[in-house]
Amino acid sequence: MLAADYKGPGGKLVRIRLTEDRGLIRQIKITGDFFLIPEESLPKLEKMLEDAPIREKELRLLVDRFFRGTEAQSLGITPDDLVKAILETKQETTA
Amino acid sequence: MTETWRVVDVEYPDDPFMNMAVEEAIPRAVGEGAAPSTVRFWHNSNTIVLGCFQSAQLEVNFDACKETGTEVVRRFTGGGAVYHDAGNLNYAISLRKGHPLVPGSDLQEVFRKLSEGSVQGLRKLGVSAEFQPINDISVDGKKVSGAAGSVKWGSVFHHGCILVASDLAILGRVLNVPKAKLADKHVASVQKRVTTIRDELHRNIRTREVSDSIVQGIQDSYNVHLEKGNLTGREMSLAKELYQSKYSRDAWNLEGLFEPLEVRTVASS
Repeated sequence: MLAADYKGPGGKLVRIRLTEDRGLIRQIKITGDFFLIPEESLPKLEKMLEDAPIREKELRLLVDRFFRGTEAQSLGITPDDLVKAILETKQETTA
Repeated sequence: MTETWRVVDVEYPDDPFMNMAVEEAIPRAVGEGAAPSTVRFWHNSNTIVLGCFQSAQLEVNFDACKETGTEVVRRFTGGGAVYHDAGNLNYAISLRKGHPLVPGSDLQEVFRKLSEGSVQGLRKLGVSAEFQPINDISVDGKKVSGAAGSVKWGSVFHHGCILVASDLAILGRVLNVPKAKLADKHVASVQKRVTTIRDELHRNIRTREVSDSIVQGIQDSYNVHLEKGNLTGREMSLAKELYQSKYSRDAWNLEGLFEPLEVRTVASS
């Protein structure tokens, strides 16, 4: 299990827990105290990130595609925060 | 002409799950046009209310919950976990989407606008309250109220809880506070970041006095008239269905599973 808690300046907390297989995201759970409308769209983002490589360029493309495709509105987190949070799982590991 | 809003105090202090079902039923009914613009005041006994995106496993100290008889329920809006007890006043505002007060769907604007009534209400009591983006009301930099909200089901919804005379010691025990959150705020514990109306006014105060003052604050801030009312039949049937299918279930409260439990829209009863 890879884990990261990330908080952008003045923003909300994003907590990533994911399992990885050869550099690809197998399963990912995004939790935290941010806002996202419509709320039901978050599982869609998690699904989109499955099998994605944990690399900035690919993650950014997917996250941007999610926001464009769903017209979701976030508050307290930016697409950039989400990407940074996922990348940070490579820096720290918790049980 | 002054618009009339309904104010309801329907509450189930010992059933946080039913409280939360009613919380969702009202904006759904308002969005359907089956209920007028509404302000609700209510209380929970010891309960953690999680934001809809939070992990119960990460945020909740279940041992401390067991010791203190604290329940855990998940709300349908985002934001962070809050601890409710009888000294905590909850308020909720439901308007139809497109209401002139908040014509857009920008959530930051919803928080800003729909916190004004509470800020005014608290100021009337002598508390130097101010709205603090993203979603707080603070007094001298300490949080006294947090809000959450959404724009959905054809409604604009904003709710918040106000620490009137809450037990901050229990609050600090039942919630795990992640390191990343403390680092940003430069303080060492939940208790130091928050305050209560009682502590600010240095006197005992009942939540009723605060809600009465917020009613005034809302009327003044938005130029509306609040009239006491009850829930409609549609709201009660929605609440019962939401209780059954969502808020009484661990799959929602503890695991936060969205899709399978989304309520079906029943025909009006």
